[in-house]
Order: sequence, then structure tokens, then C-alpha cells
Amino acid sequence: MSAGPEETGVPTPGQTPGEPGIRATAVRRSFGAVHAVEHMDLHAPAGQVTALIGPNGAGKTTLLLMLASLLAPDAGAITVDGLDPQHHRAAVRQKIGWMPDTLGVWESLTAREILTQMGRFYRLPAAQIPERVNAMLATVRLADLADQPARVLSRGQQQRLSLGRALIHNPTVLLLDEPASGLDPGSRVELRGMLRGLAAEGKAIVVSSHVLSELDEIADGAVFVNRGRTVSQQTTADAAASGRRYAVTASNGAGLLAKLTALGLVFRQEDNRRATVSLMLMNDDDAARLLKELVLADVGVISFAPATGALEETYLNLEARTA
Amino acid sequence: MSSATELSPSPTHAAGGYFAGIRDVVVLELKQRLRSRGWYIMLAIWFVLTGIVTALTWAGWESSRQARLSYMPSDASLAMNDGPGSVIFEVVLAFVLLFALLVAPALSANAINGDRAGGTLAILQVTLLTPGQILWGKFCAAWIAALGFLVASTPFLIIGVSLGGMTPGHVLVALLMLAVELAVVCGLGVGISALAGRPLFSIVVTYLTVAGLVFGTLIAFGLGVSLSQGTMMANQAQYRDYVANPSQTMPEYECEGPMREVPVIRTERVAWMLAMNPFVVVADAIPYPDRTGGTYGFSGGTMESISQGARHALAGPEASQPCANGKTQPGYLAQTTPLWPLGLGLQVALAGLMLWLGWRSLRTPAKKLARGTRIA
Repeated sequence: MSAGPEETGVPTPGQTPGEPGIRATAVRRSFGAVHAVEHMDLHAPAGQVTALIGPNGAGKTTLLLMLASLLAPDAGAITVDGLDPQHHRAAVRQKIGWMPDTLGVWESLTAREILTQMGRFYRLPAAQIPERVNAMLATVRLADLADQPARVLSRGQQQRLSLGRALIHNPTVLLLDEPASGLDPGSRVELRGMLRGLAAEGKAIVVSSHVLSELDEIADGAVFVNRGRTVSQQTTADAAASGRRYAVTASNGAGLLAKLTALGLVFRQEDNRRATVSLMLMNDDDAARLLKELVLADVGVISFAPATGALEETYLNLEARTA
Repeated sequence: MSSATELSPSPTHAAGGYFAGIRDVVVLELKQRLRSRGWYIMLAIWFVLTGIVTALTWAGWESSRQARLSYMPSDASLAMNDGPGSVIFEVVLAFVLLFALLVAPALSANAINGDRAGGTLAILQVTLLTPGQILWGKFCAAWIAALGFLVASTPFLIIGVSLGGMTPGHVLVALLMLAVELAVVCGLGVGISALAGRPLFSIVVTYLTVAGLVFGTLIAFGLGVSLSQGTMMANQAQYRDYVANPSQTMPEYECEGPMREVPVIRTERVAWMLAMNPFVVVADAIPYPDRTGGTYGFSGGTMESISQGARHALAGPEASQPCANGKTQPGYLAQTTPLWPLGLGLQVALAGLMLWLGWRSLRTPAKKLARGTRIA
């Protein structure tokens, strides 16, 4: 139970700094008979936001726990900035900020005390901790609630505190498990801005979420997982290139159908309250051209918008394929 | 936001850093404990109960002294010379130990799996803290919280001393041994809480372990005794008339006749089980006044009787069988063959084993998880 040489927090001299970011290669992890993760690959490069997307029970949280160096993979390798968590525990911990899906706050402590304790646990220089904590409280907009016990904070505020806790030691890799759940729309927009800002600072950010429309806006790339496997890894640009479904509603429903048929487009009638159709369009130019045609045909276009986000389209295709 | 270089961990000395980490965990734990009202309520109940027990013991001793004085006025000096101190001290000590054994599991046995259930353990595990620092920090915090109860009962132990018969040394030794027993139970509790999935389960298991030490050791000793039959050489004890021995300074019997093989119980073979009993450990560690040269009519208190009983068991029939090897036996065993180091050693070994197993289960990246537990 003593501090081993690898736990002192100082990387071995002469060590070559590896590729920045976090990478998991062919990781596998089972709990007894449950194969939570069978075969997953993930690469989150520095300076980018990587979305981890998959249905409930796909193994997202297990993968994040392995990336956070809390669980050891049964097989496969994980590197954080080129370091293996098994052998460079302390060095890796310093680089990782982890925000769990369970909030886990010390309820009787104040936000300021929680962040101060975390600073101590990360062995930040004692003199710098108060200043760092104040800066962090301001960043997550908890400065005016800093001296309230954490139990009186709302879920969204606790979520922000949890994010502050993950950022206190200025990690280079940020692992966020469902960070947007429980946040009001304003806080979501803010979180989005914050994550973009952190990525711009050169951090590698992994975000798992169900709210795919959010991820569309902030993710540079996405890793889709299902049933313990990586199903696809693509960039948001790739996802957009494979087409996007648009929903069109018109006051003259019959005219809309006639015009689309005349244009020779494949469409689907949605069973909504209004006469809505949806159809796949390959890119923005196609969308602009179709809208122009419909307006000229005078069918009374009420709405014309992407039906789903680019990531959601891939996700739904994925579910359809594996179901 | 500051840059990474400013925030690199302070280059603390490895050993100093290890203890600083423990201290940080203790601070975190104690802040939470001191802000929960339950601890203060328990402390108040403890204080009041110990006070009531002390008052009743004193009142009981006082009324029996009054009764003796009215019955035998000439014997007043004899009744006065012992004082109530010894009795109050021992009753309070036994009571405090009993309550300490009841309170310590509640303070320690959810230390780790309670945090696991609340999702806060993984928050600690993902930092630079090592499993040992988390475990020792949790242990120290539970122990400090338990020591609060000991501090609350100190006034009554001091009352026991000040009423006569005992020295401050007795209080110090008694408090020290009580503190050590609390540490043993807290160690068991924290270790078990790291192993068990649910707080309720680990609390029950810790209580059962403590019950095992208090009652199980007695039962095991009793069963063991019946399996430890043996023989030894002894001759006949001839008991004197009580009148012939008014001073009570000589043995009550003489040994006569031929040596014969007699059946005896080899209690020394199973005495180590008795030694693990917390009451035996505390009772045996307290230095009692030397009575070996004194009266044969032994008049010590509860704890002293426990100590003497256990020492007789450890000494075996050689020391307790009348006329063993043709010699008379002293009625009172000297404090030269202490039993408590053996018992305490066994207890510490047990608590150490639990803590070590607990430490194994806290290591990250975790390879194996206990059934039904999540790391976060």
C-alpha cells in the first residue's frame, strides 16, 4: 500500500511523448457472463470533439470507464497521449478529466470545497488552488452558489459542478458521459460553446450522448457502438455526405405530391397531423434547388427543414440494420 | 484558464505526498461526518447513557456501603478503604467498551461501499490518490469519529478514578486499549465495506464479526474445552476450617497423600480463542494493584475477574488444579503472564487481513469486480 515509483506522478525521463489524444484498440471487457464490450475501437484526436453514440446498453459507459483508467480491459490496448494507463497510472490520471453519468456529489460540501478537495487530490500546488477554484467556479457559472451545500443545487447545477470537477486539473483528455442530460436548453448551448472552446485549446474530448442533434453541432467525429462493438467511425462531414432526410410540409398537400412525383423524386408520406412528406437529399445544393422548384410551383410550402441530424440519420440506419 | 505547466502537481516528497493524500481524504470524510446530525445525536445519547450508568453504579455502591455500615458499624474502616472508584471505573469501562463495539461498525462499515453506491468513490479513484491512501483515509476518518465517543466518556472514567482507588495511569491505559479496540473494529468495518456490495450487508457482517469476537470466542472456548481433556499428576487437597485460617493469608488447603493421575481440562490449548475477546484484551491490559501477596479472598471488580479467569485458562491445570504436582496454588495469578498481546495480535491480524483484501478491491484499473457491483 505504498506509493510505488510509477505512482509519483512524474513520467519516466526519456519517455517519448506519444500521439496526443486517446485511443482504444480492440478493447474487450466482460462482467461474468455479460459481455459489455466485445470489440471496440475509438480514436479521439487532440483538438477535436468525438461523439460516442449508441443505444442504451451498448457498452458506452463501460468503454468510458476503461478510457478513464478505472476498469482494465480484458484484451486490447488503451493509450492516453501514447501512455498505457496500466503502467503509467499517475501520468495518465493527470491527463484525464472524467465526468461520470452518475453525478456523485458530496452533498454536504459546498461547490467551492468540492473543487478545492479535487485540486488537492490532483496535487495541484496548494497556493494556486483557491485561485484555480474561483476561475473554475466562474467557468461553470457557479460563482454565486459557491458556498451553498451541493445538495441544494439543481440537477443542472450539479452537472456543471461535475464538469468543473473534471476540469480542475486542466486535463488534456476530457471524457464526458451524458453531459447534457438534465441541462436546460440555455445550459446546453453554453456547454456546446464550452466544449468547442476546450477543443480549440487542444484537448481531446469524448462525449457520449443520446441527444444527437446536440452532437451534430459540436462533434468533429463520431463513433457508433452497438451491442459491445464499434459499428462505424466517421467524421460529421462524412455523415453529412451520405445524405440527409428533409421534411416538407405544404398547405396544398395534393399539389406537393404531384410536383414531387413530376420531379421523379422518391418520397415518403409521414403520418403527421399535417400533410408532410420526407425525402432523402444528398447535399445542401439539392435542398436549395428543390425548395426553389416547390416555391415556383406555388404549392404553399409551410416548412422545409432537415428531418434529422446527420448523426441521427446514421444512428437510425444503424438501429435498422442491427434490429 | 491557466496553462498546463502552471498546474502541474507540486513536486512533493514521495512519502510526504502519501501522507498528505491520506490527510486530504480524512479532511473530506470528516467534513461530511461533522455536518451530519446523526453523529451528534448518537454522541449525545452516548454521553447521557454513560452518565446514567455511572450515577446508578455510584448510587448502588453507596447504598450497599450504607447498609454495611448500619449492619456492622465496627467494620467501617474496612468498608471505607476500597472506595467506589474501582467499581465505578470497571463498570463504566465495561459499558463504554460494549457501546464502542456497538457504535464502531455503524461508523465504519459503509465507508467504502456507501460511497460506491453514491457514485463518489470512483471520483476519488480517478484522481492521483492511490488505493492505499483512500483506504487509510477512510479508516482514519472512521476511527476519529469513533474516538469522539471515547472522548465523550472520558469524564466518567475520570470520575471513577477521582472517587478513589485508581490512578490516572489506569485511565490512560484503559483509554488507550479502548482506542485500540475501536481501531480494530473500524479496520474490520472499512475492510469489509470495501469487499461487500451493499452497505447493509457489510454493516451486518461487521456486527456479526464483532459478535463473533465477543460471544463467538466464548462459545468456541467452551466447545474447545470439552475437547481438551487430559490428565496430570496431583494429590489430595485437604481443606482447612475457615476458623483455622482467620487471616486469610495462607492457602485454604494442604496437599496430602500419594500423587495420582487425575483427569483435568487442558484449557491452555484453547485459551487463545478467549484471548481474542475484546473484553479480555482490555481487562487484561489494565495494570491492577498487586494482590499476589495479599488476601486469598479475591475481591476485584468485573474487569479484573475477566482478566484473572482468562489467565487461569491460559495457565492451564498446572496453575489452577488444586495440588497439581503436589503443590498448593496461589489464588491470584500475578500480572507476569499477560494474555492481551496474543489476543490483540490475533485481532490486528484479522483486521489487517480485511483491510488488505479491501485494498485489493480498490485497485484501479480494476481487473475483477465483486459480483453485482459497478465501479461507477
